[in-house]
Amino acid sequence: MGFKRSPQTFSAKVNAVTIGTGEKAVTIGGENVFPLYSFDAPIENKPKIGVQISDRGYNNAVAGIAEYYKGAENFVDMAKKAALMPGADFLVLSFESANPDAENTSVEECAALAKEIAEAVDMPIVVEGCKNKEKDAKLFDKIAAALEGKNSLFLSAQEENYKEIAASAGLAYKHKVGAESAVDINLAKQLNVLINQMGVAGENIVMNLGSAAAGYGFEYVASTMDRVRSAALSQNDTMLQMPVITPVSDEAWSVKESIVSQEEFPQWGSMEQRGVSMEISTAAACLAAGSNAVILRHPESIATISKLISAMCDKEGN
Amino acid sequence: MFNIIFKSDNCPDIKTSAEKGANLLETALLAGVLIDSPCAGAGTCGKCKIKILSGTLEYEKNIHLSDKEYSEGYRLACQCRIVSDAEIYLPSSLSAFKSDIKTASLSSRDELERYSLLLSKVFNSGIKKDESSSGFGLAVDIGTTTVSAVLIDLKSGYVKAKASAGNAQIRYGADVINRIIASSKEGGRTRLKKAVREETILPLISSLCNEAEIEPEKIIKCVIAGNTTMEHLFVGEDAQSIRLEPYVPKFLELHGKTAADVGLPISESAPVIFAPNVGSYVGGDITAGTLMTLIWNSEELSLFIDLGTNGEIVFGNKDCLLCCACSAGPAFEGGDISCGMRATDGAIESCAIDENSMEPVLGVIANVPPAGICGSGLIDLISELFRTGIINAKGKFVKEGARIKHDEYMGSSYVVAFASQSADGKDIEITETDIDNFIRAKAAIFSAVRTLLSSLDMSVDMIEKIYIAGGIGSGINISKAIKIGMLPNVEERKYSYIGNSSLSGACAMLLSKEAENKVFETASNMTYIELSTYPGYMEEFIAACFLPHTNALLFD
Repeated sequence: MGFKRSPQTFSAKVNAVTIGTGEKAVTIGGENVFPLYSFDAPIENKPKIGVQISDRGYNNAVAGIAEYYKGAENFVDMAKKAALMPGADFLVLSFESANPDAENTSVEECAALAKEIAEAVDMPIVVEGCKNKEKDAKLFDKIAAALEGKNSLFLSAQEENYKEIAASAGLAYKHKVGAESAVDINLAKQLNVLINQMGVAGENIVMNLGSAAAGYGFEYVASTMDRVRSAALSQNDTMLQMPVITPVSDEAWSVKESIVSQEEFPQWGSMEQRGVSMEISTAAACLAAGSNAVILRHPESIATISKLISAMCDKEGN
Repeated sequence: MFNIIFKSDNCPDIKTSAEKGANLLETALLAGVLIDSPCAGAGTCGKCKIKILSGTLEYEKNIHLSDKEYSEGYRLACQCRIVSDAEIYLPSSLSAFKSDIKTASLSSRDELERYSLLLSKVFNSGIKKDESSSGFGLAVDIGTTTVSAVLIDLKSGYVKAKASAGNAQIRYGADVINRIIASSKEGGRTRLKKAVREETILPLISSLCNEAEIEPEKIIKCVIAGNTTMEHLFVGEDAQSIRLEPYVPKFLELHGKTAADVGLPISESAPVIFAPNVGSYVGGDITAGTLMTLIWNSEELSLFIDLGTNGEIVFGNKDCLLCCACSAGPAFEGGDISCGMRATDGAIESCAIDENSMEPVLGVIANVPPAGICGSGLIDLISELFRTGIINAKGKFVKEGARIKHDEYMGSSYVVAFASQSADGKDIEITETDIDNFIRAKAAIFSAVRTLLSSLDMSVDMIEKIYIAGGIGSGINISKAIKIGMLPNVEERKYSYIGNSSLSGACAMLLSKEAENKVFETASNMTYIELSTYPGYMEEFIAACFLPHTNALLFD
């Protein structure tokens, strides 16, 4: 008797969330199978890739990144170039300079830049804050107003500032809200419940479950994503059915493998190649564990992961 | 030597003398004046507030007194050194004064009725009382936070006197782990033994004897029930192995001890019986308490929860008993809560909040101006804050109003009683940190119940009876406790509150050799589950740190 494969599909689904407007809008989630299990049922929406640019620029970045943005004189120029990057589906604007410990750029300045970029490119926009929770709450409020109608995603609301971000980005300006928790299924669900209780529908929330670079405790990330997906699909847990977006680049480009120079560790080889490998392996692991979107930085990583997604999700011959 | 006089509203004055430089709180304790001092003199809780009527005291100022209070003569007893004759006034609502104890909730009619009811049930279940002997018996419940004791007339079985005090060991740490660490330092075992024996139990005995007007030598039998660590520290045994793998205590049972052996100033030859321990974190307080629940005699599957610094849970019926313990912290007894206090006069024990005005209606023990909140009041308060949407499911304030305060250092808080209504002229408020401590405590209990049941592949619907014990206040509001996810969501009629079952169990053991044997038998039949080796426990705990629970279906 031949092997008969019984597809493992579920009646529950991951929410499909659309970011952006018009032709370039992207939709993540929507599948009713485990991550990348395209052999069980077609993946409703392929995982997507965001290209991340920082308002502090990439002049000192590794050659591949610096080269790509060469000639860009400001953040808007960078955004225009990033929007053309092969393999990228959406643009991720990181307003790092707004951090009070960095340049402490004013929220008005950031909002004006965001608006200018939104007018110059037609890619969906994901907004990242400055990793200062108080400032992010104010920053997102202003940017959400500036980007009204653009259906952007704001990363992220956390337990400490979800109220302001949900009220402003989520309710007043009708954007999507990113809910960030620290690699724990219960904390993730609790934050979703809190944001939902503010009045933001589950269908307008995207989860950032937290991450680690591959090899840096990634097994926690994998098991958390795994269980979140399992609860969403097999238990129909509506408070865990949000699609998952994972900012990979911040983690991947800050570990030792990606930052010590070749002079220091000649036997390790090229620093840039190490960083790219870190970014690719972490992103691939996230996609396999359940991320519906990853945020990356290096053109080579983006091209590689894009190819990987096609190979995993497209029907043969496509 | 200086003469010190302690005065209070409804008690005779107590006179004593003290050396220059003596600590006022210690002097009070030696004289049998019980001042509520949860931090045992560390100066951190601000509860031992007294007022100087005459004389002077050397005083180190700290944050617990406002300038106004200081100028009015208020001091923290633990921070005062005696330098002259003095007259001290004890505000009765703040401090459980020696003979005040009689009227305090600890021997309230409710509690006494509950006690005699439980006792009669036990003696109707086939356990015989001993032939009456004349003399008195002493039952002591040594809790991590609170020590309670009763004096019983062995002939009639009547309670002659009842008293309780904070465990003076608390200055060495709020939980058993810190106590064990403190005891393992050089001279530590002696210090901890001294704290619980000389500073806590001996004053209790003298106040019991004063109240009953008997000589301590008339006490001819004593039963001690405490958790495993407390029993170890009381007899001065090495407790280190309790917290180190494989978590096996030095002893489970102690036999043949007399008052002389353990240094109690009662009849020298009086036998001292220790309720047996089951494991490192399920001790004599639970085995004595289990006797009172009659689980061991029942077909029905029952759950017994003791809410204390350590929460202990027993589940089963007459054929099989399982038990486990979790660390809840002192929140249920008012510890670790800025406005917390034990369930005595002046404690807010119930609360309802109006949804629109955010105004509370408070129930205060003894109907005096409120001085703080006890465990049952906290359950009500947090449940009401959540129901009215003043706090979110994480316990953070999300509404604004006249009663919501924001402080740069203390964070946000809700004013339960304004200064003008409170006993000590200060706002009584509950902070986000307090709520957080409480949520952790309730989460520890609930997740332990879930883990214990799931280790048997059982669910809460299979429980037919739930017994709640502990010193959290006279009437715990079960429906509110369920609303915040502290207790399993089963019909309210299945619950009964049995008060301090460790103490009543110890009393039963005093009155009956058969009861004593039954406790030992039950203890040896209990299966002890070590939660820390259950990989799912931590996840259950995080899931329970939410109001009511991350899995809302459990409380639908």
